[in-house]
Amino acid sequence: MGGEPPVGAGLAYYLSADPASLDPALSSDVQSGEMIALLFDNLVQFDTEGRLVPGLATRWESDRTGTAYTFHLRAGVRFHDGRPLDARAVRASILRALAPGSRAARQWPLLPIAGAREYAAGTARTVSGMAVPDDSTIRFTLTGPLNIFPTLLAMPVAAVVPDSTAPSFGQAPVGSGPWRFVSWRHDDALVFARNRRYWGGPPRADTLTVRIIPEAVTQAAEYETGNLSVVEIPFGETRRWELAHPDELQQRPAIRDLYIAMNTTRGPLRDLRVRRALNLAIDVETILRTQMAGRGVRAAGAIPPGIMGYDSTRAPYPWDTAAARRLLAEAGYPDGFRLQLWRNQRTELVRIAQAVQQDLARIGVSVEIVERDAPSVRAAVRNGRADLYLGDWYADYPDPENFSYPLFHSSNAGPGGNYAFLRDSTLDAMIIRVRSTPDTAEKARLAREIDGRVFGLAPWIFLWFPVDEWAMQPDVKGWRIPAVFTGQRWTQADRVR
Amino acid sequence: MRHFLLGRLALLVPTLAGVLAVTFLLLYVAPGDPVQAMVGERADSSTIARLRAELHLDDPLPLQFVRYVGGVVRGDLGTSYITRRPILDDLLERFPATLELAGAAMLFAAVTGISLGIYSAWRPGGLADRLGAVAAYLAVSFPVYWVGLLLILLFAVTLRWLPPSGARGPRYLILPALTLGMRSVAVVSRMTRAAMREMLGADFVRTARAKGLGEVRVVLRHAFRNALLPVLTVLGLDFGSYLTGSILTETIFSWPGVGRYVLTAIEKRDLPAIQGSILFLSVVFVLVNLLTDVLYAKVDPRVEY
Repeated sequence: MGGEPPVGAGLAYYLSADPASLDPALSSDVQSGEMIALLFDNLVQFDTEGRLVPGLATRWESDRTGTAYTFHLRAGVRFHDGRPLDARAVRASILRALAPGSRAARQWPLLPIAGAREYAAGTARTVSGMAVPDDSTIRFTLTGPLNIFPTLLAMPVAAVVPDSTAPSFGQAPVGSGPWRFVSWRHDDALVFARNRRYWGGPPRADTLTVRIIPEAVTQAAEYETGNLSVVEIPFGETRRWELAHPDELQQRPAIRDLYIAMNTTRGPLRDLRVRRALNLAIDVETILRTQMAGRGVRAAGAIPPGIMGYDSTRAPYPWDTAAARRLLAEAGYPDGFRLQLWRNQRTELVRIAQAVQQDLARIGVSVEIVERDAPSVRAAVRNGRADLYLGDWYADYPDPENFSYPLFHSSNAGPGGNYAFLRDSTLDAMIIRVRSTPDTAEKARLAREIDGRVFGLAPWIFLWFPVDEWAMQPDVKGWRIPAVFTGQRWTQADRVR
Repeated sequence: MRHFLLGRLALLVPTLAGVLAVTFLLLYVAPGDPVQAMVGERADSSTIARLRAELHLDDPLPLQFVRYVGGVVRGDLGTSYITRRPILDDLLERFPATLELAGAAMLFAAVTGISLGIYSAWRPGGLADRLGAVAAYLAVSFPVYWVGLLLILLFAVTLRWLPPSGARGPRYLILPALTLGMRSVAVVSRMTRAAMREMLGADFVRTARAKGLGEVRVVLRHAFRNALLPVLTVLGLDFGSYLTGSILTETIFSWPGVGRYVLTAIEKRDLPAIQGSILFLSVVFVLVNLLTDVLYAKVDPRVEY
C-alpha cells in the first residue's frame, strides 16, 4: 500500500511483526488483534484496565439461565465510509467470520452460539442462534449457559464490519472505530487518522503511526531518538532503563502466567508426588530476582492477581530440596530420572531453563533442554512428546475461565491449551460450573476452589506472573499499559506541545 | 553470446524444477505444523481439522505437489496461509526494498573495496596496506548482527546523525548498507589487491611503463582491467546473496524487504510462502549469475561464449 508514513507527526507506536491481516474474520495473531481494536468496534470492548465496557451495544441482558443474551445497539453509528451500522451488520459480520471455507483460524469465541459449529462446517445454511428483531437489537441463543459470552464478543473476531466488503478488505479495511485506515506498507508501517465522528469522542491526536520493528534493541533505539511514543522494556534491560529513564517508566502486573507444564501422562510425571517434588526443588524466588529483575509475582496457582479467584493467602511451593528428595524417594525415584524440557529461543526462556536445569540436578533429576523454534515446540507439546514445557499463557480476557478451561479442562488436552494433559473429573465439573453459573458470587468461590485444586494437583511448576514495564515519552500524555491486548485504543493519548 | 544466453535460460527450467522438488519435500518432512501455527495457543480439534481440509493438507503428498507445480507453471505461487495474499504480490511489494539495499551495499563494497585493493597493491607493505589487511580480517570476523547494533548505537542513539531504522529515504539506507556491505568490502579489497599485485608484476605492465605511459593509466587501464574478472566474480556472488539472504540486516534495521518475509514465513510455517520465496529467489540468483557472466565478456574481450 502506498504512502510514506509521517515520522514525528502525531503518535508513534510499534509492533514486533507485521499483522497477518486487518480483517477481523482472519485475525489470528496479537498484532492483528491490536490493530483491529483501533479500526473497528465490537458490541462490547475492554477498557485500558481490562473492564468490559459498552461498545456498539449500550446495554445487554441475559436470561436467568445464561443461555440467551440480548444486546441493544447504540443509535446513529456509521462506518468510516458513511454507511450505517445496525444489528443486521452485526449479524452479517458474525456469519462472515464463521463462513465455511473462510480459512478463519480463531472462530472459537463465536462457536458457543447455537448452530455456529454446523454453519462453520458447512452443514447448516445459517446460524440458528442469532436473531435480529429490529435494527437496534440482536439476540443470541447459546448451546448452553455461558457467563463469559459477552466477554467473548469483545474478541477481534467479533468486530463488526460493513455488510459488503471488497476482496482487499484485509489490506484496506473500513471500520467504525476511533481510527481510520490511511496506509499500510508491509513490514514497515501502518498509518491511521482519527475518526472525527467517533461515537465515543474522537481521539485526541491527529494521527497514529504504527511502525513494524522486530528487534528489541532497535525498538529501544527508536524510542531513545524520540521516534516512538512508548516502548516495552525487555526484562534483561530493566536496570538500565530504571537508571536512565526513571521518570518515563510505568508498570502493570500482566494477566499472564509463566510456567512449566508437566505432561501428567508421561513416565514419572504421572505421579503427583514427583510433580510436587519438582515444584519444591526450584528456587523460583532467586530466578525471578536474578533473571527477570524481580518483575513478577510468585505464583501459587494459575490465576493471577486482579482476576476473580486469585487467592493471596495461598503460599507458593517453598524451595525445599530435602522435602523434594523425600517425595522422589517415596515415589520410587531415590536416584532421580531424566526429563526433556522443551522451550523456544526467547532470551528470557533460555536463562530460566538453565536455572531450572541446575536446580533439578540437585535432586537427581537430569534435564535435557530441547530448543526449537516456536511452531516446532508447540507441535511437540501438543502431540504429548514433551515431558516439560517452559512457556507462558497470555490471557485473551481477564476472567477465571481463561485461566482454567483452556489450561486444565480435559477436553483441551493438547491443542486447546492443556499442555499438562491433566484429566481430573472433579476439576472438569468445577470448570464447567464456573463457565456456566450466572451467579457472580458462586463464580468467585468456584474460581478460588478451582485454582486451589490445580495448585494441589501440580500439573505445572508454578513460576510467576510477570509484570510489564513500558517507557513513555515525557511529551506524551494519556497512555497506560493495557491490561488486555485489545484494551489500548489510543483515544486519550496525545503529545503535549 | 545469444546461444549462450538461450542455453543458460533453458537451464533455468531443470534448476527450478529441482529447487521446487527439494524444497517441497524438505518442508513437508520438517517439524512444525502450519495449522498449529495458524490457530495460536487455543484451538479445538474441529477447527484444526477444518483448516487442514480447507488448505488441502490432508491430501496425498504427490497430489499436493502436482497441484503446486500446476500453479507455478501458470505463474501462480499460491496464497499465503497467514496473510491470505498472493505470494507473488507479497514478494513483488518487498523486492524493490531488497534491491535498493543490496544495490547500495554493493556500491559501497565495490567502490571502497576496489579502491582499497588497488591502493594496497600499488603500495604494498605501506601503512594503508597493513591497516587494510587488519580491517579486512575484522570486517569478515564480526557478526553482521553485532555490527548493525553497534552502528545504531553510535550513529543513531549517541551521535544522532542518522535514523536507527526504517526505509523512508536515502538517509535510512546508509547504516543498513554499511552493515550489509562490510564483509564484501573486506573480501573485494583483498581479492583486488591479490589480482592487482599479480598484474602489476606482469610483462605487459612493464612494457606499458617502458612506453612512458602515466602511472594512473598503467594501473587503472592496463592492470586493473585485467584484474577485474575475479573481483567481478566475488561482487556477482555477493550481490546474489544480498538479494536473497539479507535477513539479519533487514531485521535489525526494520527494512521491509524479502528477507524478513522469508523469516516470518519460516517462523509461522507458512509453507506456500516459503516455497514461493525460495523459488522466486532462486530465479533472482540464477539471473544475477547470468548477468555476471555477461559482464565477463564485456570486461574482457578474451572471454567468448
